Amino acid sequence: MIRLFFCALILIFTAEAGAQFLDFTDTEKRAILRHGPWPAPWTPDPTNRVSGNPEAIALGERLFFEPRLSPSGKVLCATCHAPFRGWQDSRARAFGHADADRNTQSLFNVRYNRWFGWDGAGDSLWAQSIRPMLDAREMGGSQAHAAALVRADAELSCRYEKVFGAPPPAADEGVLAGIGKALAAFQETIVSGRSPFDDFRDALARNDLPSMKKYPEAAQRGLRIFVGRGNCSSCHFGPLFSNGEFHDTGVPFFIKGGVDPGRHGGIRKLEANPLNLLSAHNDDLSGTSAVKTRQVAIEHRNFGEFKVPSLRNVAQTAPYMHDGSLATLADVVRHYSEVNPDRLHSDGESLIKPLRLSAAESQDLVAFLESLTETASALPPRRPGTACVTRP
Amino acid sequence: MEERRDSVRRLAGAIARSALGAFGALAGVAATACELPPGVRVESERLSISYWTIPAKIAVGQPFVLELAACPKTSEPVSERVKLDAHMPEHRHGMNYRTMVVPMGGGRFHSEGWLFHMPGRWEFRFDVGTEHLTHSVRIE
Repeated sequence: MIRLFFCALILIFTAEAGAQFLDFTDTEKRAILRHGPWPAPWTPDPTNRVSGNPEAIALGERLFFEPRLSPSGKVLCATCHAPFRGWQDSRARAFGHADADRNTQSLFNVRYNRWFGWDGAGDSLWAQSIRPMLDAREMGGSQAHAAALVRADAELSCRYEKVFGAPPPAADEGVLAGIGKALAAFQETIVSGRSPFDDFRDALARNDLPSMKKYPEAAQRGLRIFVGRGNCSSCHFGPLFSNGEFHDTGVPFFIKGGVDPGRHGGIRKLEANPLNLLSAHNDDLSGTSAVKTRQVAIEHRNFGEFKVPSLRNVAQTAPYMHDGSLATLADVVRHYSEVNPDRLHSDGESLIKPLRLSAAESQDLVAFLESLTETASALPPRRPGTACVTRP
Repeated sequence: MEERRDSVRRLAGAIARSALGAFGALAGVAATACELPPGVRVESERLSISYWTIPAKIAVGQPFVLELAACPKTSEPVSERVKLDAHMPEHRHGMNYRTMVVPMGGGRFHSEGWLFHMPGRWEFRFDVGTEHLTHSVRIE
């Protein structure tokens, strides 16, 4: 009897382990292969002269966990971007000193973005890293406060000089840009590891059937919906599973006391930001990196548009959507299955339609999304910090 | 600092070339003397154009530069009033960026600000003076 039970268990496990490989069409295979390889190639950010610099990464890491950047001494970057919570906070909406209006985005793979924040108000990771420091609801600081801290603290000041080749300058804005660039250098190291999907995708690329069969059948069926009739991969495109741009997905954008203008407001904030890539703080002298900032178009349809988030490690980053209104991946799939096209606020973009998925199909899509989660962390080990010593 | 000076020099050069181009346009690029460089050829009743992108292969979500050369089929010179754009007809939306077009002289134009943010069929729209030309490409 016991032997029979174990035989049955083995049979069930084998079936669940994906003994079948779905016969994907050539079109589907091409679409699947576009989601890799992972990790994607990356080159240091030309707008940040200390991008990839180990000393800058070390300074950025200190600043990321530095509560004194907030005048109250109570809020640090890691308050909302907690490493043990997928570099976000698991709350519907961010909370520093007070409730904010939007969900905290994970920092996984943030270095691959073109725009930063749900509304894309940041055109560089370093400019975006400054924003929460100055927001009264988040860290509640100021340019003068952050600059004074770095100038006055011997350790931070010493490290700043090591990274930038000169002591913190007299102008607060210059120090703030330096803080942002060091923070960005650290966040660029936060990259997600390989997932079961990546193993499947690479096996598909080399036509390795035994390896492909290790990928659960439910995830394969979900993948077929994702790249096929779900049309999900039109926006959740490429190795990052995001095209880096903005769309209205039918999530309400009403907030306490008004509406969240989304991308429309983001472009306005971008234009007004003295630290955007059109400023003298941009280290890319070729001018190439500033083209997006100069040429971005503001349209009426941008109201209610929010950035397409990456789906890598998505199972670790609940809740979902710009307002954190959907608690689970099953809720997200239900949203797209039943979305009301009349609520979409766009100029006729006909991409999002109710998918009308069956219960089994919804489960398959969730199984696929869960398979985008890393099997092992790719984060570099944290080194114990040593005290900074200036040259005599 | 030196790099900034180089960048200023390059801009000055581009303006000078543009001014020469304007002169060329005023003088008229005669249909017989006009030769198009290699690229994708698109024709209208009164104009032939050749365009190419840098990099040559357009990738979804990656910015690119587009250059264009135009030759008139009549004695009319090539207009410098050039507007370039692209659209996804099936999705009924365009790009999220507006292109900036710089006349380079002799009926040639340099444009920046291109980015196709979705896979699928994109239609380039070339408005040169009163001529309207289109060309479709499929981006994967």
